[in-house]
Amino acid sequence: MKLSVDERWDIIDKISKETVKFGEYRHTLKDALAEITVKPLTGIPIAIAVLYGFWSFFGAFAGFFTDGFLVKLFDGHWLPWLQDVFPGGLGNWFYSIMVDAGHMESGVLVAADNCFESFGVLTSGLFVAIGVVLPAIIAFYLFLIILEDSGYLPRLAVLIDTVFHKIGLHGFAVVPMILSLGCNVPAVTATRNLETKKQRFMMMTLLAIFIPCGAQLGIMLDVIPEYVGFVMLYLFLGFFVFGFILNELIPGKSPEMILDVPPYHMPTGRNVGRKLWARLRGFFTVAIPFVLLGVVFVNVLYLVGVIDWLANVFEPVLVGWFGVPKETTAPLVAAFMRKDLAVGQLMGIQEQLGMVAFNTYQLVTSVVLVSLYFPCIATVAMIIKEGMQDRGKGVITFLLGSLAVLMAVVFIWGGLLHLIWIILGVA
Amino acid sequence: MNNESKYNIGRIYFAIFGLIVLAFGAAELLLGVTGRSFEWGLLEMSGEFLLWQGIILFSAGAFYLSSFKNFSDIHQQAKVVMASAMIWIVAGMQIFGMILESIPGGEDGGWFNTAEGFLETYAGPYIPELFLLPFSLVVIYYIRLNRQK
Repeated sequence: MKLSVDERWDIIDKISKETVKFGEYRHTLKDALAEITVKPLTGIPIAIAVLYGFWSFFGAFAGFFTDGFLVKLFDGHWLPWLQDVFPGGLGNWFYSIMVDAGHMESGVLVAADNCFESFGVLTSGLFVAIGVVLPAIIAFYLFLIILEDSGYLPRLAVLIDTVFHKIGLHGFAVVPMILSLGCNVPAVTATRNLETKKQRFMMMTLLAIFIPCGAQLGIMLDVIPEYVGFVMLYLFLGFFVFGFILNELIPGKSPEMILDVPPYHMPTGRNVGRKLWARLRGFFTVAIPFVLLGVVFVNVLYLVGVIDWLANVFEPVLVGWFGVPKETTAPLVAAFMRKDLAVGQLMGIQEQLGMVAFNTYQLVTSVVLVSLYFPCIATVAMIIKEGMQDRGKGVITFLLGSLAVLMAVVFIWGGLLHLIWIILGVA
Repeated sequence: MNNESKYNIGRIYFAIFGLIVLAFGAAELLLGVTGRSFEWGLLEMSGEFLLWQGIILFSAGAFYLSSFKNFSDIHQQAKVVMASAMIWIVAGMQIFGMILESIPGGEDGGWFNTAEGFLETYAGPYIPELFLLPFSLVVIYYIRLNRQK
């Protein structure tokens, strides 16, 4: 049976009369709150307050577990116990890899007295992964999930849509960007919510270079707490400067965004718990093995002399262009496995060398370099996977393009920081 | 008392409160920009996040003041609610930080804090947001009033 247009409209009228209630809709307080969070004049101060809450919660929660209990546990009990019972002793190669590589003081090899300096798989490796990064990751994801489930995150996307349009992206880019502050790996997958190949290439490249993950943030908060704000500002500035340049250079479209914003609602404990566990499971299965492998990898390179050789080869670039000591080479190698591990190593090296050889500004530059320098191996694997899905055989061009941007960024943005220190007279 | 009178009282209350919040916000902003700190009795304005606290408090004060006209309108009420929520975020995080700080024993102490050390954490001075917090809770009455309407 075929219905005419009029007959169809009659049926629609009949159904709507039975199902739809007609009347005057009155704005509720919830609606009005939803409106003011997306209007720039009121929305930006609210966003600042929310991000302040995010950052304060992150610092207090991670600090409570790390500084309050876990540093004491690892430095005061775990490290001395391992140093006592682990076979081999200082100077033995297996002991160096697993427990404590030791360091030279007046020509004598001495044992480390904290887990940042020991560089062992069971000491530094476990301390970085569980003692520093795990509390930071829990704090980050807990707050992020509450923002997601309450309905604030899509409003933040709408609010900063205009800013992202300046660099050829749109408000949805805030989702991979914020996810990236937790872990770059799911963030690369989240770039699928961007429409064009140009946007996905830009976002993957920019977040892999400029956005530090939660693990790295956690350890930065422990190593250089008073400079984390500056480092973040410098990286975010780089994100937008290079985003603007890439938008001008790369051909392709940047379409407008149409977004259905859900109403605000109270997050449920059950949902928050489930999502938190799902994300933490990823950390336990992917990140922790990479941290431990990273320590083994760097320790083996140290033992066979590769790190020293690389440090000598790259010394002119590291010292001359970036203004950091050649000892930064080992953390840069470790950064390929895990960036949090690399920042932890920087702290250990600074404690060993002392402030004269490795001052605060050099430490800040090194942390920035670790962030800008090659993304961790898990992120690279995900970029290749997403690139292949996006471009098939064109993945090589995609990767070479990303690599070229990366090299340019490291040299320009890293060198610029050195120049800033020179102008300020501290380098 | 009818609703109109209640809203009139609210308008005056939040206008005065907004001025105080705005003044504290401006002071924090100024101190944050110049890198100085201020302490007077139990009141303290210092710390690495002072500038951000100043921006938030100043904005909250501006929200309160901008709701003066047509105070009973739902959009104006939303501004008052959001201004109070901004104060709650800063004050809430300060209290949360204090609670977490009071539990562990510190670098050289035992695993947990002593009773004395625990109580000491809660001793002043306090940031302005903590003093403003109880006065901002009046907004809950107006949220309930809106629901009844």
